[in-house]
Amino acid sequence: MRPAGVPPARTALAAAAVLAALWAPGPAGAQERFRRTPPPPDPRPLELRLPAVERTVLPNGLTVAVAVRPGVPLVTLQLVIRAGEADAPPERPAVATAAARLIGRGTKMLSADYLQNSIEAIGADLRVTVLMDYTVLTMHVLEEYLDRAFYLLRLITLEALFTERELGAVRRTLYWELFERKKDPEVLAWSQLLRLLFAGHAYATGTYAEDVIKHITVRDVTAFYDRFYRPGNAAVLVSGPVDADTVRQRVEGHFGAWAGPAPGRPAAARPPGNDRERICFVESPDAPEATIFAGNVIMDSYDPEFFPFLVLKQILGGTTRARLFMNLRETRGYAYYAFSETEFFRSCGVYWARARVRPDSVGPAVREILREISAMAAEPASPAEIEEAKAFLIGNLPLRFETAAGFADWMARYVALSLDDGQWDRGPERFQRVDAGRVWETARRHLGAKPLVVVVGRPDGLPALLEAFDAVEVYDAAGALKYTARKGVGP
Amino acid sequence: MKRTAALLVFFAFSFAAAPGVPAQGPAPASPPFRVQDYRLRNGLRVVLSEDARLPLVTVAVAYGAGTLREKPGQEGLAYLLENLMFQGSENVPPLQHVGFVQKVGGELNATTTVDKALFYETLPANYLALALWLESDRMRSLALAPAAIERTRTDLLEAHRSRQAADPFFGTFAAFDSLLFPDDLYGRPLLGTGDGLMKLSEPEIAAFRRAYYVPNNAALVIVGDIDAGRARELVARYFETVPPGADVPTPPRPVFDRPNDAVVRTVPIGTDGAGFHMGYRFFPFQPGEIYALRVLEYLLAEGETSRLRDRLVRKDRLARHFSASVDSRLSIAALKFFCLGNNRVMADRSQRAILSELDKLKTNAISMDEINRAKRRFKRDYLDRLSTNLGRALFLVDAAFSGAPLDDLGAELDRYLGVGPLSVQAFVAKYFIPQNRVVLELEGR
Repeated sequence: MRPAGVPPARTALAAAAVLAALWAPGPAGAQERFRRTPPPPDPRPLELRLPAVERTVLPNGLTVAVAVRPGVPLVTLQLVIRAGEADAPPERPAVATAAARLIGRGTKMLSADYLQNSIEAIGADLRVTVLMDYTVLTMHVLEEYLDRAFYLLRLITLEALFTERELGAVRRTLYWELFERKKDPEVLAWSQLLRLLFAGHAYATGTYAEDVIKHITVRDVTAFYDRFYRPGNAAVLVSGPVDADTVRQRVEGHFGAWAGPAPGRPAAARPPGNDRERICFVESPDAPEATIFAGNVIMDSYDPEFFPFLVLKQILGGTTRARLFMNLRETRGYAYYAFSETEFFRSCGVYWARARVRPDSVGPAVREILREISAMAAEPASPAEIEEAKAFLIGNLPLRFETAAGFADWMARYVALSLDDGQWDRGPERFQRVDAGRVWETARRHLGAKPLVVVVGRPDGLPALLEAFDAVEVYDAAGALKYTARKGVGP
Repeated sequence: MKRTAALLVFFAFSFAAAPGVPAQGPAPASPPFRVQDYRLRNGLRVVLSEDARLPLVTVAVAYGAGTLREKPGQEGLAYLLENLMFQGSENVPPLQHVGFVQKVGGELNATTTVDKALFYETLPANYLALALWLESDRMRSLALAPAAIERTRTDLLEAHRSRQAADPFFGTFAAFDSLLFPDDLYGRPLLGTGDGLMKLSEPEIAAFRRAYYVPNNAALVIVGDIDAGRARELVARYFETVPPGADVPTPPRPVFDRPNDAVVRTVPIGTDGAGFHMGYRFFPFQPGEIYALRVLEYLLAEGETSRLRDRLVRKDRLARHFSASVDSRLSIAALKFFCLGNNRVMADRSQRAILSELDKLKTNAISMDEINRAKRRFKRDYLDRLSTNLGRALFLVDAAFSGAPLDDLGAELDRYLGVGPLSVQAFVAKYFIPQNRVVLELEGR
């Protein structure tokens, strides 16, 4: 079907008409029948064939995981430590990040400069990722330098030395990064959402602002390292065109003498989540639009409802065809965009809707988001929505594994959280099993409670929010409560 | 037009271990990177490359319809048309191109550069026909409805203003490019102020599409889990009957008068701190010079221990942010630096530090060890880029537009790896002179 008012396509090609008529093999005025409708997919079955992650445990407790990926002479080498932001002592948030950032910045014999030079001399770099539950040190190297990379990874990790000088440099960098990130309204909204959802829980430790950085000492870092950087709490991961047996021997050669007991690390209980109407406003003087995050605590990724929830999330706001986008942008014109997301930790998950909206539409936009979320629990999604969401999730899954970095990140998560093969190559089967009934049941269980709402915007945007809600908690950019504004009551 | 015979090209990269750091035995050759390169009767160039590691396929269509095809007063036209390509065609309703791709889990995007407008989607491999149906439909019958034009125009300007408001540096990149590439066609921004965009008439837009969005001015690249024979059938089915346009003239070469000294300008930014864009332009840029330039880029600015990052960020701690990039626009190219410091003093010292490091390159020998380190990192990034369907498709699009034969691409990496210290020094001596330097200083509030 052509949009109304569009002239027939061939008139748009008038300038080339003579040339085309001379050239075209068929009648000039008619389009071929096959163009009228989208073609069906090729009948050949598509199968997501990921390399197996072969896991072994060395006598010292260190896990070795190898995935053989032929094709490109690049290898990703990772060290996973099963301790992240949430494992920092509550009085010393950010110490997990400080410890990880100090890896590679000195050993008893070698300086930070020397180590950095040694890593970059083989064309590699060291990427440090600290998540809520685990830490990953990654080196992406040319195949021919893998053994050198093993040596360097062992050297910088097992012989790490923490000095005041290097900690000072890490503190400065970290402070600026956190300071700069606050300029991004999405980061502000995400941080505040987690801060409030996880209040009183171990995960609250991972929601710090830059002000805590200055308190971290060498002693704090050393204590964290001594406790968690242990072979029984770690895994070496290798993916690329490698021989698995050779890799295991190399890992044992380099890391076999690493010793020390694994720390006890029981999973924290799931946080209770939000259960009442709660609207929070974070002041961001330079934000030209209002950014809305509305979310709550859900199940962890080991839960049987994990896959149904992903289908649910897709229907709610997975793409520009989903409910949130169609309603807030296409129908009502409130938003520049509106989507839904999920994040899964060891103890729980979090879902959230996110939208960037015109400041004068913030009140009705929040109302619509809340309505769309509760509608998911109120009525079952249509079969067409369910099938489209599943088709997207199944079709999109291979894209996550396409880049070396994407593959390695997913493999690290798979190993660090001890996930099952549903989170590897069995994902398509798990999605196929999801039906409308399971999605609705999952929605009723997890979307019944009112989500917590965080709005980031200019202070002068607060009145528009108060038009729609009776009370709004007002926070500064560091997440500290300033006051609670009430409808009809002056500041 | 006679159909040319298919060309099968096999690339095999063989890597020699560079001296300086011991390698663990000989590096195995990378797997063959095989392509088929041919043209349809309507002039459409088609490049196919099979890769069955994942059940995905990337389809990229590039038109020689970049900003240098705009006439004076048409600023924004190329970018507008790129966006109008999502507004529907004879059989695809407005915005449903995105919908069809997303329905099956695919991802897509588009971009406009100086020389081309590029559209690409990656989707499950069994939906190759869908991607070809979508791309051929908008190639042959793009709908240019007045309402869609107005909506797209308004959306683009709104998004542009929103980005400007959110990012104090956003506008400075376009302003710097205009200084660095003073030729009107080669230096013009995608949108500019937006005035040109608002004045564009429907006939102008239609004429641009008619002239440049035609198969004889385009390349179709398909990379992924495909059967080449089946892919050729589908390409023929969907594209063979798309009518060609008139002959497309070769893009005009830039006109460029070298000034007598460095160009330095200052603009305010609505945030704290201070910084600058600094660039050196290379004109007329010879095709073989890209190899030394890329190695120089890595030697100066890629990795924490590269010369400029080491000096500005690690040792002297002058810069909060420092990055560099090569910008190649056909016969003119540039090496650009973007640096932010806490205040004007730090920013000025950063500028002097860069100039001092560049002077050292002219006067002191560069060690093989340092060159090899830069090349190892370059090689890693080069291979990484080619490891995905999309990366390989974009690589093949660039190659197709460069005019170079695709059967020579397998040797490209070796050319980079063959760069030695003397070539880098010769490049620096030739181009890094004040007359080629352009600086845009950013003055914080």
